[in-house]
Amino acid sequence: MIIAERKTLKELLEMVQGCNRIMILGCRGCVAVCSAGGDKEVSILASALRLGLSRQGKEIEIQERTLVRQCDPEYIDPLNEEASDFDAVLSMACGVGVNFIADRCEDINVLPALNTTFYGANLSSGEWKEMCAGCGACVLHLTGGLCPVARCAKSLSNGPCGGSQGGRCEINPDVPCIWQQIYDKLSRLNRSDEMKNIMPIRDWTQAGHGGPRRRIREDLLP
Amino acid sequence: MSRIKGFCCNYTLSVEPEALKGEGLIPEDVDLERIPCTGRLEVPELLDAFTQGASAVFVVGCQIDKCHNLSGSRRASKRVAQVKKILEELDMDPGLVEMFFAGRGETEPVVEAARIMASRAGAGSRPE
Repeated sequence: MIIAERKTLKELLEMVQGCNRIMILGCRGCVAVCSAGGDKEVSILASALRLGLSRQGKEIEIQERTLVRQCDPEYIDPLNEEASDFDAVLSMACGVGVNFIADRCEDINVLPALNTTFYGANLSSGEWKEMCAGCGACVLHLTGGLCPVARCAKSLSNGPCGGSQGGRCEINPDVPCIWQQIYDKLSRLNRSDEMKNIMPIRDWTQAGHGGPRRRIREDLLP
Repeated sequence: MSRIKGFCCNYTLSVEPEALKGEGLIPEDVDLERIPCTGRLEVPELLDAFTQGASAVFVVGCQIDKCHNLSGSRRASKRVAQVKKILEELDMDPGLVEMFFAGRGETEPVVEAARIMASRAGAGSRPE
């Protein structure tokens, strides 16, 4: 899922300066699962902003709302009317939601309440880890299912660098070297010889370096 | 709203809060609310107490390993910790919200908590 975290209250209070009426808009997708922007977080942020504003001697009307998703038109488009009376919509979705509102709701002043951080997995309650970089050219079939693009600090394609010591990455001793893990995994699967195959040079245009990516499935088009 | 807002569960306080005031055990400006379980308190309720005028907020729950509802006071203490972080973000003293634990039916820890928080609110500074 997409992992995100709330911006600081100071940043958010600064963003809503001059507003008299805002809507805090949550999303029940990924950001709800990672406890960054679901119903509960909307409620907490609203209370925190009210307290922060009251300490500044200010009061603004804050409406709390959460959509099923902020990345589908059917949920976003009604905002054109429903949010038209608000000075700003403070979106607690990932950057996709904020962009989508900005694209589809021309007159809505949409502001981001979160920093979108990475695609990750939930290790345990309250702990998430990056697992995928969304690079558009998956090589997991070659690496035992472990991603060197997202999980190697240098995104190396053909084995570890010299900074891999004792199975750890030189950037931080708490970070395992993913290439060590790939070797261990492939060894367990009796596939370690595959590491001798040199991966071809990657086409990074599919990773977004060729501009915003788009996918079309004609069988699903209206 | 009173200057100090307190929440305690039914199991930590066996007498009516007003009775404690009547006996002069807790300060007059402490509004102590009994709730079924502190685990039902959410972060917004604690923050809203400040917005509504409280100078300090406290929660008294069961001893953490002897909660009547197993994990209610543990949940409450995590939420209080979350509120502390928010207060810090807003340049407020995180000591103005606190979690306390009390044995079943023990009035004294509740009274002590109210007095500590009244003192913190009065001092307007970090607790010792």
